[in-house]
Amino acid sequence: MAKRDIPEVNAGSMADIAFLLLIFFLVTTTMDKDQAYIRNIPKKIELVDDPVIVEERNIFAIQANSQNQLMVRGSLMNDPDEISERIIEFYRENEKSNNVKNDFPMYSRISMPEINALINKTTTEAEEVENTPNALPDIIDFKWRQVAEWEKKKTALEMLETDKLAEISVQAHIRIEVQKATEYELFAKIQSEVEQAISELRDDAAMKIFNESYKSIKNRLAMDKGVEDREKIQLLKILYPARIIEVTPKR
Amino acid sequence: MSKFKKDSGGSAPAINTSSLPDIVFMLLFFFMVATTSKESDPSVKIIKPEGSSTTDMTPYKQKSEIDFLYLGRPLNKARAEQYAAMGMEYMLFMDNVVQSTPDLLYNSSAIQAWKLDKFESKPPRMTEPIESVITCIKADKGAPSGIIFDIRKELQAIDALTIAYAVGENGKK
Repeated sequence: MAKRDIPEVNAGSMADIAFLLLIFFLVTTTMDKDQAYIRNIPKKIELVDDPVIVEERNIFAIQANSQNQLMVRGSLMNDPDEISERIIEFYRENEKSNNVKNDFPMYSRISMPEINALINKTTTEAEEVENTPNALPDIIDFKWRQVAEWEKKKTALEMLETDKLAEISVQAHIRIEVQKATEYELFAKIQSEVEQAISELRDDAAMKIFNESYKSIKNRLAMDKGVEDREKIQLLKILYPARIIEVTPKR
Repeated sequence: MSKFKKDSGGSAPAINTSSLPDIVFMLLFFFMVATTSKESDPSVKIIKPEGSSTTDMTPYKQKSEIDFLYLGRPLNKARAEQYAAMGMEYMLFMDNVVQSTPDLLYNSSAIQAWKLDKFESKPPRMTEPIESVITCIKADKGAPSGIIFDIRKELQAIDALTIAYAVGENGKK
């Protein structure tokens, strides 16, 4: 038998098929990104007998009622855009030097020898607890976490290249209190203002220390998990911690 | 005289289009890869509030470490009226089940069941630890904040401790 030529397949309609698929994906693609504020819900615990007393100066309370009226640190506020400025003031007021008379959180200043001493102390404590029989795993865990905490501060101070690490009081926090009927729009606005203030503070520090913006470090960290970037973010978080308490409304 | 043969009239040569499908396929693949499909189409109407300095959820979506909850008025008018008459203006939507907010939300653990179901349907590396799997709430501007805290309470009970409030970035819808 003679070899027959295989007839050429007509690929002219291939483009049409591809176009059809392309147009389908073009139409169904939604390019809008999901933007949100991430918050943590506190872990459920048994009732504590003695609640810790928090000094008034350490609380930045933002309250909103069912009529969507705002109250910040005990005084009415008409324009919610001012919240972020007030939060920055809350963090900044005592940053350079403590003033006992004002109504803002105190800063503690700790030097490298002190941190080193504390690392040693907490490490021996943690080892002691670990070696005692019947020690609760939770307590051992807690002790080691304390050590890790100080180690973090050590790296932070090393990066800062100053002799002392200024830290806002551990009690300082932002408290968001809304009522059940408060509109979500206002609630989101408050969250937005808080986030804006925190990122502005961290951005300022990042510009000063690393000469780049907080956002660009964060974006880079999201792409690849470099140790250096993680330490940078850690430092910024130690300098300006975001402690946000959202109070469950009773009415 | 000239070295080049002059085109002596006649029709223009046909353009070779055999690489056209390749080009189109390339575009097609780009869109296929770039597309993140919506989990589901909510049957409640949501106009997001606006905010700035937000966090982008795309990395979490790509890792499937996020579940979405929708809170808004039902799109279906008849249903909206029916529920509004019962005092349930805003409804919770999770995947394909519409939960009437007060009833099912307050009485049963609909959210917990939904979330736990989600955990089981994913491989462990996406859901461990449970605390870090994000529950993203997409709520309408007018929704009362009380519902948000009811959701938080439900999530707290099952240790799903990371929550996200969805907003539109300033200036964009």
